[in-house]
Amino acid sequence: MPSRLFHRLAATLFFIAASALWTSASAQLGTKTSGQGTSVVTTPYVRAELLAHAPQGVAPGQPLWLGLSITHQPEWHTYWKNPGDSGLPTDLAWTLPAGLDAGEIAWPLPKKIPIGTLANYGYEGTVLLPVPVTVASTYAPGPLAKDATIKLRASWLVCRKECIPEEGEFTLQLPIQSTTALSSAAFEAAAKAHPRAVVAGTNGIVPDSQAQIADGNLLNVSVQGLPVALRGKTLDLFPETAEVIDNAASWKQSWNGSVWTAQIPLSAQRSASPSLMPVVLAEQSPAHATGPDTRTGYRAELKVLGTWPQGASVASVSPALEAALKANAAQAGGSATPAAASGASSLTLTAALLGALLGGLILNLMPCVFPVLAIKVVGFTQHAQDRRAHRISGIAYTAGVVLSFIALGALMLGLRAAGEAVGWGFQLQSPAVVASLAALFTLIALNLAGVFEFGHFLPSSVASLQARHPVADSFLTGVLAVAVASPCTAPFMGASLGLTATLPAPQALAVFAALGLGLALPYLAASFVPAVARALPRPGAWMDTFRKLMAFPMLATVVWLVWVLGQQSGIDGAGALLILLVGLSLVVWALSLAGRARVWMATVSIAAMALLVWAFAPHVTNMPAAQAATSSPQVSATGWQPWAPGAAEQIVAGGRPVFVDFTAAWCVTCQYNKKTTLADANVIADLQTKNVALLRADWTRRDPAITAALASLGRSGVPVYVFYRPGKPPVVLTEVLSVDEVRATIAQL
Amino acid sequence: MKLLRRTLIATAALVALGAQAAATVGQPAPDFMLKDTNGKTVRLSDFKGKHVVLEWTNPGCPFVRKHYDSGNMPATQKDATRQGVVWLSINSTEKASSDYLEPARLMAWKQERKAAPTAVLMDEEGTVGKSYGARTTPHLYIVNPQGQLIYAGGIDSIPSARPADIEKATNYVKVGLGEALAGKPISAATTAPYGCSIKYKSPA
Repeated sequence: MPSRLFHRLAATLFFIAASALWTSASAQLGTKTSGQGTSVVTTPYVRAELLAHAPQGVAPGQPLWLGLSITHQPEWHTYWKNPGDSGLPTDLAWTLPAGLDAGEIAWPLPKKIPIGTLANYGYEGTVLLPVPVTVASTYAPGPLAKDATIKLRASWLVCRKECIPEEGEFTLQLPIQSTTALSSAAFEAAAKAHPRAVVAGTNGIVPDSQAQIADGNLLNVSVQGLPVALRGKTLDLFPETAEVIDNAASWKQSWNGSVWTAQIPLSAQRSASPSLMPVVLAEQSPAHATGPDTRTGYRAELKVLGTWPQGASVASVSPALEAALKANAAQAGGSATPAAASGASSLTLTAALLGALLGGLILNLMPCVFPVLAIKVVGFTQHAQDRRAHRISGIAYTAGVVLSFIALGALMLGLRAAGEAVGWGFQLQSPAVVASLAALFTLIALNLAGVFEFGHFLPSSVASLQARHPVADSFLTGVLAVAVASPCTAPFMGASLGLTATLPAPQALAVFAALGLGLALPYLAASFVPAVARALPRPGAWMDTFRKLMAFPMLATVVWLVWVLGQQSGIDGAGALLILLVGLSLVVWALSLAGRARVWMATVSIAAMALLVWAFAPHVTNMPAAQAATSSPQVSATGWQPWAPGAAEQIVAGGRPVFVDFTAAWCVTCQYNKKTTLADANVIADLQTKNVALLRADWTRRDPAITAALASLGRSGVPVYVFYRPGKPPVVLTEVLSVDEVRATIAQL
Repeated sequence: MKLLRRTLIATAALVALGAQAAATVGQPAPDFMLKDTNGKTVRLSDFKGKHVVLEWTNPGCPFVRKHYDSGNMPATQKDATRQGVVWLSINSTEKASSDYLEPARLMAWKQERKAAPTAVLMDEEGTVGKSYGARTTPHLYIVNPQGQLIYAGGIDSIPSARPADIEKATNYVKVGLGEALAGKPISAATTAPYGCSIKYKSPA
């Protein structure tokens, strides 16, 4: 009993003493900042000294190193850049004369310091933390200045089992002209202790060092290019990235020829998900080894392969997601991508071009391209007898499509460069563009319906240009096709377009051109291969009827555009647009009249139109600030919730799967999927059974958060459908959703 | 000899894997039974239906003192319990450690600083701490009313021992509880804990 009492007393006394020492230590340090300053700070646990190495003085281009040398009391330690399970890295804050710039600490090789079931990375004995300093060519000390004043505020955590946070202020007068090399031995030793890079795999001779994520809780590490001297030896591994591996766990390692491999358990509470993991390797030393440290460290950058388990990520875009999407994109790119077993293959340019071409082809079948197809069919029937005209028109159309795509791509690249958060389809996010397109389609519909003929009101030279140059006509048709088709991204287009966000400009433009070529290809083929052309109906009297019929798809397109504008500018905007369209039709009709009636009607109608534009145009482009339009009551009734940045990741972290629908009112494919597959009773029932959270991201209006989210999915247009699953990589579905596909994916949740 | 070494390494790896099955965010929180500073037995499952905060603590650690002496931890506790959240402070310091405080002294230290946890629990054997993978003091966890772990990590976003940093830091627990009580998922569900190592009892 007395001994127990003594024990307690001793413990209490120690605690009081430790606290007192700490407070007195900081107090003491605080007072030392005044006056001349000191280069040495001594506490009960460490002696810390600011050292410098300037063999050629302080001059531009000459080596200059500063450093903090810490000598620990026996058993005490401070920490490396990744402190491990607890602790803090030593922090150096410099105040240097103008023209001097301190770099990062060149951390020497640390030791693994086990503490019970935990492990830290740090330094015992004496360590020098060196910092390279660059002297700018503009560095100009005064003519009378002899010394440069170096100031350092350092904070470190020194621990045995108990931990004491300490701070110190250091000052050093560094001679500018003469040599400072008293500590050269210490700096040399520190340079030796700094880990060297392994032979890197830059030219393909040495493969990359890797860390493959296995079973969601293990990293299969393989390191190449280690020196021969280490072969066969047991190594320690120090990850520079904190909060990834289970630091204290023991793990298996082995040598496979020149390659070192290890199976390292991940931390159960991992909060970092890096795509590149730099690690330092060194021969294993016994814990608390005394005597000089003869180890040499080697630094390798591990490429992380596979997907980080879900639920532990705080980053908005996890590398896991990125990797999964890359894999998806590679699949979508078709067989042209060599399916590398590593799983890290990315979409190559060839695959992107092929994907874009294929995407362009499929674009022809997309619902939102249909109105343009109508125009194309009219064009065909007009030239059905003339093979040569046919070919020329095919080439002109192709040129129009391809050039428009390139122009759009260039515009997007330009806007991107200008820093605007835009994505594919951005044209229809601007009400002015939507209104202009509506006006254009109204004109086309009126023309097709026979309200006016171009020859009647255009100057005769332009009219004859139209007539004599079907080439120009075809070219314009191509341009029009692009304007309408662009917002509807077909399956392969998504990956290719997403890729252009990261490609250099010429390659990105090539992808856009391939996309255009794909869109134009069926037309081109029909114009060259008679078999295709012959399959088309013969021209005849039915053509006029057909042309008039085609006015209705045009009008339907106008209705769609007005609806889109309604989503953006509200019912007032849509109403204003309709009034303007009526006014426009009146003007067109008036211009088509003849004689005095034309003069009068045209004058009146143009005046009326001017008045209408003045009164209503602002309504069209006026976007209500509130997002009321996007969250209709119907949304909540069917279980859909509005998407918010990070929402999906949070729900998944809670263990619930999430389905996200990236959509927009102006995207017909999106609306089609929404009304068919996503409204399917079986799909809804399946989603409910699996308790899937439903999120809808509405991109009708410009939303930088959604643009960013699409970019992170490797896409830049809608629709995109994604399933996020706890503990598994997300699944991106195809853009034309089928009930079977959705149900099959749900079944795997 | 070589075979023996291999076997040893393999065994060590297996043991490590077993021990590694620590609590994970999104999974059920391990249930436990501990005595509080008054000797009363407390179970995690007693609080099903409520949000529970688990706070690993040790008055001997300067990082714990940073948050108690500044009033930050007591304020966070009051803010939580006022909203019906259960706050359990757990001390996993082994008896042999110089930091160890017996229950009455630990309670007195807490009361001096106006701490307001629901209970202060003694885990001298370290079993509960290890089952949660608690590494530092402070190290914080949030368990939802369904018994799932929804947060693991630090008290705030600036790992330092300087009390002046508290004001600039994001209090992850306060933010997380706010989100959880509003029925929203926690935006930062796993963060880096910082502080002193927990002075666990060495395995016999």
